[in-house]
Amino acid sequence: MVFVILYFALLLLLSCGAAYYNQRSAFLLLFSLTLVSLVLAIIGGIPALRFVAIAAGMLLAAGMMSYAFREFLTALASDEMAKELRTAPLTAAFGMFVIFIVAVMGIFAPAIAPHGEAEIISQAFAPPDNNMLLGADQLGRDMFSRIIYGARNTVALALCGTVLAFILGAMAGLLAATKGGFFDGTMGRIADVIMSIPSLIFALLMLSIFGGSLAAPSTSAWLLFGFAVIVGTLFLAAAAYSVLSWIIGAAIVVGVSFAFALAFTSVFDASEVILILVVAVIYSPRVFRLTRAVAGNVVVMDYIEAAKLRGEKNWYLIRREILPNSTAPLVAEFGLEFCFVFLLIAGLSFLGLGIQPPTADWGSMVRENATLISFGEITPLIPAAAIALLTVAVNFVVDWMLHRSSGLKE
Amino acid sequence: MGDILTLVGKRLGLGLIILLVISLIIFFMVELLPGDIAQAVLGQSATPENLAALRREMGLDQPAIVRYLAWLSEAITLDFGSSIVTDARVTEIIGERFMNTLFLAAYAAVIAVPVSIILGVIVALLRNSIFDRVANVISLSFISSPEFFLGYILILYFAVKWGMFPAIASLSEGMTFLELLQRTFLPALTLVLVVMAHMMRMTRAAIINLLASPYIEMARLKGAPPWKVIVKHALPNAWAPIINVVALNLAYLITGVVLVEVVFVYPGIGQALVDAVSKRDFPVVQACCLIFAATFILLNLAADVGAILTNPRLRHPK
Repeated sequence: MVFVILYFALLLLLSCGAAYYNQRSAFLLLFSLTLVSLVLAIIGGIPALRFVAIAAGMLLAAGMMSYAFREFLTALASDEMAKELRTAPLTAAFGMFVIFIVAVMGIFAPAIAPHGEAEIISQAFAPPDNNMLLGADQLGRDMFSRIIYGARNTVALALCGTVLAFILGAMAGLLAATKGGFFDGTMGRIADVIMSIPSLIFALLMLSIFGGSLAAPSTSAWLLFGFAVIVGTLFLAAAAYSVLSWIIGAAIVVGVSFAFALAFTSVFDASEVILILVVAVIYSPRVFRLTRAVAGNVVVMDYIEAAKLRGEKNWYLIRREILPNSTAPLVAEFGLEFCFVFLLIAGLSFLGLGIQPPTADWGSMVRENATLISFGEITPLIPAAAIALLTVAVNFVVDWMLHRSSGLKE
Repeated sequence: MGDILTLVGKRLGLGLIILLVISLIIFFMVELLPGDIAQAVLGQSATPENLAALRREMGLDQPAIVRYLAWLSEAITLDFGSSIVTDARVTEIIGERFMNTLFLAAYAAVIAVPVSIILGVIVALLRNSIFDRVANVISLSFISSPEFFLGYILILYFAVKWGMFPAIASLSEGMTFLELLQRTFLPALTLVLVVMAHMMRMTRAAIINLLASPYIEMARLKGAPPWKVIVKHALPNAWAPIINVVALNLAYLITGVVLVEVVFVYPGIGQALVDAVSKRDFPVVQACCLIFAATFILLNLAADVGAILTNPRLRHPK
């Protein structure tokens, strides 16, 4: 009872204060919160009210945290950066904060996690205790440690997939914009076809053939090699200008691709490599289209014409004229692309077709522990919430960057 | 009128070509399999005689292009061969499930489309207010959440804690329609939440774009009342983007359905696809992929054709 009275008194006081000092949006927010709490208190009683109070409190805490984080960043950054950062809305600051936390979690996972990711330390579904913060999963592994390791595995895979998709798509897009003609048309049609298959369905089709637990290391190495050669050829097509340079370039491309395939297969296992390639192929057409559109706008500029008349080659044009003038939209697209890739990988892992056990991963953890939900436990929701939180965070930051780069205020 | 017909005809032809290319991809993707289907079915320990026998039985000794044409001509008549795991006809496995999936998608669409369009218009009219910003943050959060997160939250509260709806959307013979609606409410709601956020944002963007155009400004300046500006000037031009938004999101629904069906153990085609992928049952995978891709293309086509048909500028050629 005391709680109810205090709660409403506080809300009323705050909203009156906001109204008195002419803080219109703060007043609207506070007063609608008061009204909502009133209705919910009548319908659901004190538990519902407590729920609303906790939710509002958490939102407030998140807001304060992001405000403090933004101030922290502005204090650290150089003058120019600080000026930019000061214009960032709170949501963007919140996004940066979450990304920062996840990055720390992923990089220092072995130091933070109290137990190993595949270490069985107790009974299945053991409740939380002093040793295990969130209890045990379906095999008796520490849930908390697995979530920490999941930050490393899931995000690393998604990042690699995004980077590969980006290199392939952006290179093809830049070439299409500078060369035009037949190359442009062919690439455009290929992109059309890939984009007209729903991404999840296409991923399932490819995984049923190459991937999953049956993936062979030699297949994955060959696919990686093939992918690298395709990307290398694109680079070559941009940079080479005589028969001799084509020959030398081709040799370099084969060598680099080989080293690249070796390095990749030693870091990731076969099914993960295939997963990365699948997402890279599925999402590169989006990057291609955007890059082509952005670069297409730059290519028609006078300074490009001037550079061409100076006798500059394609490679110089791409590197020194087009890329610097189209970074802002490309960086934003990278963030968006990461969200798509991340969600796709999480979904595939949830279906048991992505990252294979015993590697800890947020998507598959949800599925493996889903039975706990029917007992009213929320632990299986934590990795799912982590996926949602990271995606929201990246989206918030991207929103701000898009807004900044377009300079539009709607 | 002739202009519209050629435009629509061109668009339909393009859709057909893309569908054909996709059927090529789906078929020849399986050809890329290390070894071949017979090898995949029998595993590493198969004897050469067994392999040869199975290859003959499945017609694998014929060239790929012949098998592709045979597969395509059967697929057009909705006959996708038989499963290599259970030997059942693929059409039997996925036929009824496809209807279930369509029902779920339609259920979600019936709720999501009107609500999100109305909300989108309201938010567009109130743009840059605090409500707009809150709606922006909330819808962004829903878009960013994986479908299974929303699904399990709904299960936790509506099924486990409050016991209002069943957690598992199993269907049985002889259910009344109301019972059916109640059983499938949670999966439908999950889809509604995801799709609604998308649709609302897209509607908002389309309407704001529209309200910024010069003829709206003109209508306001000549003193037309606000409702008249909306109904007479904005709405006829808004149909094209709105139809586009709806069709694109229905296409999105079709793929979102896969994860939701798995969460709620709903007997739909998405679940069949996931099962077939983990069992490497290629005829079923091919059939499901083809159906999903065809639906996706069809809806995208509908979006384009709808946009062409509702464009007033194309109805009155100069």
